[in-house]
Amino acid sequence: MSNALLENATPSQSTPVPAWFRDQQRAAAERYESLPAPSRQDESWRFANLQAFDVQDYAPARPIASETAADLAAQSIGIAGAEPKLVFANDQLLARPRPAQLPAGVVFAPLAEALQTHPELVQQYALREGATLGSRKFAALHQSSLRNGTFLYVPKGVQVEVPLQSFHWLAGAGQAIFPHTLLIAEEGSSVTLVDWFEAGDDSKALACGIHDLWVGKNANVRHVAVQEWSREVTSIHSNTTRVQSGGSVVHLGLHLGGKFSRTESASFLEGAGARSEMLALTIADGAQEFDQRTLQNHLAPGTASDLLYKNALYDTAKTIFAGLIRVAPEAHHTDAYQKVRNLVLSDLAEANSMPGLEILADQVRCTHGATTGEIHPEELFYMQARGIAKKDAFRLITFGFLNEVLSRFPCDAIREPLQNRLLERLRGH
Amino acid sequence: MSLIIRNLHARVVGGQEILRGLDLEIEKGRVHAVMGPNGSGKSTLSKVIAGHPDYEVTEGEILLDGQSLLGLEPDERARAGLFLAFQYPMEIPGVSNANFIRAALSARLKEGEELDATEYYGELYEKMDRLEIPRGFTARSVNEGFSGGEKKRNEVLQMAMLKPSYAILDETDSGLDIDALKIVSAGVNDQRGPNLGALVITHYQRLLDYITPDVVHVLLGGRIVRSGGPELALELEARGYDWIREELAEPAAV
Amino acid sequence: MSTEVISQLEIDRTRGDFHYPEAHTFDAGIGLNHATIDYIADVKGEPDWIREFRHRALDVFLSKPMPTHWASQDLENIIFDKIRYYLSNAQRPTRSWDEVPEDVKRTFERLGIPEQERKFLAGVEAQFDSEAVYSNIKKALGDQGVIFVGSTEGLKEHPEIFRKWFGKVIPTGDNKFSALNSAVFSGGSFIYVPPGVKVKHPLQAYFRINAENFGQFERTLIIADEGSEVMYMEGCTAPKFETATLHSAVVELVALKGAKIQYVTVQNWSANVFNLVTKRAVAHEEAEVKWIDCNIGSRLTMKYPGVVLKGRKARGEVLSIALANNGQHQDTGAKMIHAADETTSNIISKSISIGKGRATYRGLVHIPKHLKGCKNNTECDALLINSSSRTDTYPAITVRGSGNSVQHEASVSQVSAEQIFYMQQRGLTEAQAMSLSVNGFVNDLVREFPMEYSVELKRLIDLEMEGSVG
Repeated sequence: MSNALLENATPSQSTPVPAWFRDQQRAAAERYESLPAPSRQDESWRFANLQAFDVQDYAPARPIASETAADLAAQSIGIAGAEPKLVFANDQLLARPRPAQLPAGVVFAPLAEALQTHPELVQQYALREGATLGSRKFAALHQSSLRNGTFLYVPKGVQVEVPLQSFHWLAGAGQAIFPHTLLIAEEGSSVTLVDWFEAGDDSKALACGIHDLWVGKNANVRHVAVQEWSREVTSIHSNTTRVQSGGSVVHLGLHLGGKFSRTESASFLEGAGARSEMLALTIADGAQEFDQRTLQNHLAPGTASDLLYKNALYDTAKTIFAGLIRVAPEAHHTDAYQKVRNLVLSDLAEANSMPGLEILADQVRCTHGATTGEIHPEELFYMQARGIAKKDAFRLITFGFLNEVLSRFPCDAIREPLQNRLLERLRGH
Repeated sequence: MSLIIRNLHARVVGGQEILRGLDLEIEKGRVHAVMGPNGSGKSTLSKVIAGHPDYEVTEGEILLDGQSLLGLEPDERARAGLFLAFQYPMEIPGVSNANFIRAALSARLKEGEELDATEYYGELYEKMDRLEIPRGFTARSVNEGFSGGEKKRNEVLQMAMLKPSYAILDETDSGLDIDALKIVSAGVNDQRGPNLGALVITHYQRLLDYITPDVVHVLLGGRIVRSGGPELALELEARGYDWIREELAEPAAV
Repeated sequence: MSTEVISQLEIDRTRGDFHYPEAHTFDAGIGLNHATIDYIADVKGEPDWIREFRHRALDVFLSKPMPTHWASQDLENIIFDKIRYYLSNAQRPTRSWDEVPEDVKRTFERLGIPEQERKFLAGVEAQFDSEAVYSNIKKALGDQGVIFVGSTEGLKEHPEIFRKWFGKVIPTGDNKFSALNSAVFSGGSFIYVPPGVKVKHPLQAYFRINAENFGQFERTLIIADEGSEVMYMEGCTAPKFETATLHSAVVELVALKGAKIQYVTVQNWSANVFNLVTKRAVAHEEAEVKWIDCNIGSRLTMKYPGVVLKGRKARGEVLSIALANNGQHQDTGAKMIHAADETTSNIISKSISIGKGRATYRGLVHIPKHLKGCKNNTECDALLINSSSRTDTYPAITVRGSGNSVQHEASVSQVSAEQIFYMQQRGLTEAQAMSLSVNGFVNDLVREFPMEYSVELKRLIDLEMEGSVG
């Protein structure tokens, strides 16, 4: 991989950043240079299309033209009424509508601003560890190239009722963006954030993003990431969630766009009684490839995790799911579930499943399951017998299959717009 | 106006013939019952009429108000006015009952037409009330986790919403306790009238106490071998099927 | 099978932990190089094609890295330079126990083998270190054309069948250990069942390691011709030496059209044996291959029996039980390669980890594109006993195209303290209660096994549990 990506990689010159941040970025750049490229010998890249993640042809994104900017800002609706919002395009802040008053102490700001106003929080929580699921090199690239992102801090005991949203637009050929989200929910707080990853046009581009969610004691966090990149985008995204005692998090991913998309999602259940729900749905069509790696890491007693990933595959699409439940020796009385279901809708699609367990503790309840199949002919006949045409029946059954994931998300206001997104995406099939 | 089945021969694709020259005419406004022992071809008959892909018709015809159903897809037959209440209704995870019925109704509209949501829910709730189905039902996935009785009630609800001209009720009584049977039967009777022809397929006479047929047929060996009034059902209940077999006995093998 | 007979089927670990002084006529010395291979080929008087096959295999073995990027680091503890690769006294097994050398005969008598042969087996082969010392089948079977001999004898006496299939199911380069076996193999069974012949009683092979610092590399090839049926059972023991012993076998099965092969293993090596075995079958049209694989012994076992489902409607099955006690790692699993329409496979794996034992399941299910009507069902259940034990599950499933159905389920659980307390309150000891629970856990699977093995297995589990509690 060349250095093109690292040139101009330091944060936007207009805003000064703390020295420690700049030092970290330099160290990350060195790490990026020295780490080996992923190889098939590495179990975390088994079945992966390694060529797809060769990123040397991209350069850090330039700002987009102002007329496009206005356009994209106007399109950044997502969940109607869910404000304030942050809107970024090519890693630059475009708009920041904030009609609603957030509870006192809540910070919802661009990361570049937070580095000025709350440097100690950023230093304490941001990018504390590299990726655990194979993308260390890409995590280093992200850190070295990071320019802006979403920073959300909710103080102790504060409940944010309205869902917050942030938009990350990507436009322009050969551009690379490094979207970042840092969410810190202090003890007993509660918040919902929806991150939208959107295509400004259909050019070939790169997105290399990271979310870090820190869920404090007894805090309650819901996070949604909707990936709707264009069909020419290569995307590498890792999500790391750390949950303290009694904390609870639901992370939902909608993987809809991109050409090659790798998503790594890891939950670290660090405090007793912590719980994490990991949900994702993928619609893969054309020649799309989705590579999904997950970790449910139980590090404390009485923790619970529940993962449900569903993939619908059309055409010559390919999916990989590799998930690991790990229960550390001290994490007794753990409940861990993991289920991946693939619905294969064409003769050329390929679904790979690698559900894994590593159990080192006693008194645990762990199960995992992986199924791959087609639409049941009797289900289809039942629908047809009600007058629904075959093609519509296929679509409705597929919708139902994926909708089971959405129905697990505990927020009605968000579920419905997401269902519409899903229907929209299924329309051509 | 009737559903006419003429000299129908059918089998499981590539298998043994199950229906061997079946004749039946269901006039609009009338309720016909078909009774028969296990293996006589009752369930095959309902599936063949509805166009199940596992079966093939080798001879004969099925006409709905003069239109041939053979060669039509199951959904085309349904939109032509045919309804099948399944013996074992399918579960469709993730699709709510309300959406499912709405999709089925929308499929019957002309291009560009749309269902009025208020009217739709108004009608749906009214019909659910008559079938004593609680409101929470609309948000549940189709038949998923339903008891036997709930599934059958759902079938009758769908029938009420889709308003077919001909309905086939395939062993709708199976798996129902007496209370559920009464509710389901009342739901069917509600829909009786000059615009509906019905074919009630059942193993037991019990159902016919609640849905009184105009005509009763006996299905044996893939054919209708006897027809009569409601009293025939009672006679079958009392005497079984052997006496009919004996009366037909002369050339035992067909 | 009466239980009386079964109770004499004693091949538990304590029974096997003895050895007699060795005095071998043929000894390839310590370490492995091309000279070792020439020594083996010379002693065995092998044809050139086998000699060349061995030399090529050695090069492959030397060129392949240890698979430690996914497998246990414990593999690094095998010192290939300190192992003896070939030890024997004679090249031809006898047909009668009377002719077996006295000390060897005593060994097998202590293990109960001649008795079992009299009672229920259709044929027996007994291997002592590198070569079969005894091999015999019932006359009636021999008359029907069934061949059951050691591989050394098979390749000499039946080259036309042997050469056709040898190395075809498992190529030399399949993995590092199949290459090692291909270089230095000796012993193992060669079986051919002619078309339509159904062998009613099991054929049994018994593998005994008696020498220290020794590697046993048997090679088994079973061909069931069209419409035939055969069941093969293998048992194994070794004394507990201070140093590690290596056992690395290759087993190839070929089930031609409509044939049925059942292959039953009760692996009870002593806890110093590295047991690294490659087992695979090819099932042709409507053929059926069932691996029944029980791993109780060894220090590290790596074994993933597989079936290549090559013909339409072929069926493959792996039923496996692994028991990992202190110091043991049972790394087992199954591979199902679907290569024709309407093929079905079934994998049921149950593992029990006790104390510091570790059980790992690795699975591979592959359905390539353009196949229709293929089905796989996999169930892996792990039972943990005692908080320091460990279990892992790593399946990999690839399905291309619609029209197939694959289902994998795995669970991890433990014997509940409540359950144990309940049984103790009824007067059972803790060990008895544990045994009952563990037997309950494997029961539905053991029921699928041949009777004589299911009882034996339960007894072995009881023995393991006795040592594990208190």
